[in-house]
Amino acid sequence: MALPHPTPDDLRDTDAFEALMWAMARPGTVRSLPEGAADLALALLDRETRVHAEDPELARRIAATGAALVTPDRADHAFCTTAAGAMAALAVLPVGSALYPDEGATLVMPAIIGAGPLLGLTGPGIEGQCRLRLGGLPEGLLDLRSARCRYPEGIDLVLVDGRRIVGLPRSVAVEVL
Amino acid sequence: MTLSTLTRPWAAISWGFLDASAKREMRRKMIKAIAVPGCQMPYASREVPMARGWGTGGLQVTLTLLRTDSVVKVIDQGADDSVNAASIRRFLSRVSAAAETWDTLEATLIQSRHRVPEERLREDQVLVLQVPNPEPLRPVQPNMSIARQMHADADYGRLWLVLYEQMVRSGRIMQGAAYPALVNGRHVMTPSPIPRWDVPKLHMARHLTFLSAGREKRLYAVPPFTRVEPLVFSDVPYKVEDHADLVCHRSGLRGVFMNEIPQDGGGSAFEASDSHLGIKAIRRAEGAATTIGPMWYEEGRFRP
Repeated sequence: MALPHPTPDDLRDTDAFEALMWAMARPGTVRSLPEGAADLALALLDRETRVHAEDPELARRIAATGAALVTPDRADHAFCTTAAGAMAALAVLPVGSALYPDEGATLVMPAIIGAGPLLGLTGPGIEGQCRLRLGGLPEGLLDLRSARCRYPEGIDLVLVDGRRIVGLPRSVAVEVL
Repeated sequence: MTLSTLTRPWAAISWGFLDASAKREMRRKMIKAIAVPGCQMPYASREVPMARGWGTGGLQVTLTLLRTDSVVKVIDQGADDSVNAASIRRFLSRVSAAAETWDTLEATLIQSRHRVPEERLREDQVLVLQVPNPEPLRPVQPNMSIARQMHADADYGRLWLVLYEQMVRSGRIMQGAAYPALVNGRHVMTPSPIPRWDVPKLHMARHLTFLSAGREKRLYAVPPFTRVEPLVFSDVPYKVEDHADLVCHRSGLRGVFMNEIPQDGGGSAFEASDSHLGIKAIRRAEGAATTIGPMWYEEGRFRP
């Protein structure tokens, strides 16, 4: 039997997932995607998912995976490209339940990594405290996040800056230093 | 949308065996498992060419994590050369062209049945544990819907009752493998049937651990630097197996987890359970250049 060869899609998806997995497992560390937020969509989404996408071009690519495009209150994944859109989505995305925390949504949103207010992260995946500068976040995002993340319920954030990503899973506490 | 836009041209086998959609589902669940450490996430558990109960859950996680530059190690009760471990390792390399190794230090991805290697795992390594029964509450609550509600309520009192009854009946805690542990102060998980010796290796570790039960269709994770605290009474400290003073009769290793081998005369001999560590110790004693990494236990004591 011939050895199976990875397709370019296989390679991109495994690279994107590797970046996302370590970004989530070590919140506050910066990882690199092959190209950008669209890689995450292609690595995670298929016909079993319900997705909210703000950008029409990305929405078209997501629709081609077979995922259903829905309003944010019904979505299990949301891809936002503006601060206002991310704020609106975070307010209504499903948080799951204590019975099924996995139904809490994943929100991919833009940020400026390495500039802006200094944040201190504590929680699983972090030895002591991790300090990180994050800019471009909408006003009140962190307060809204902590109001909606009543652990184990919650929404997991992926902050994207070009190819770079930082993960903020619901288990992590964020304080502004 | 048509079916042809959602499918690809026919191929005999997908790279990494699982099809793209199966991998995407695994990825979504693995991300949620990391976000809620120790909480069991349901997943579909696809067919793999192996019977359920032989490590299919671990295998699906490993297949999803495989990269072209992965180096895989597979162990079965500490041994790299058991039939089950060797077959899984060969399967992984055949479907992905990943490299195989026996050495914990070289591996990037370690799939294991019921042991954690004795050498410390690094921050770039992922440990995948095969889990036969992911539900720590099953002995006290066979109805899994009620057990899920108990997890939701963090209602774990009956697990302490089990430990208390063991104390009353036997004078000590008899729970050997699969010792229940509280993860991130919220969810109790069963760490798979690893011995008590191995549970402290998951607490505030540098590596990422996935635990996956294929037959039961659930997976959960322990991210790096996450609290994993075995359930204990404040006046009865957690005790690991009394193996600190045993000596491996083949390699001379001391202070590692041992397999007990009954002897004809009625006594027993002991052999290091981590077989490749034993091989390295023998090679080193013969004068060959081998590297034994830093260990979790030094002189039989756990070093945090």
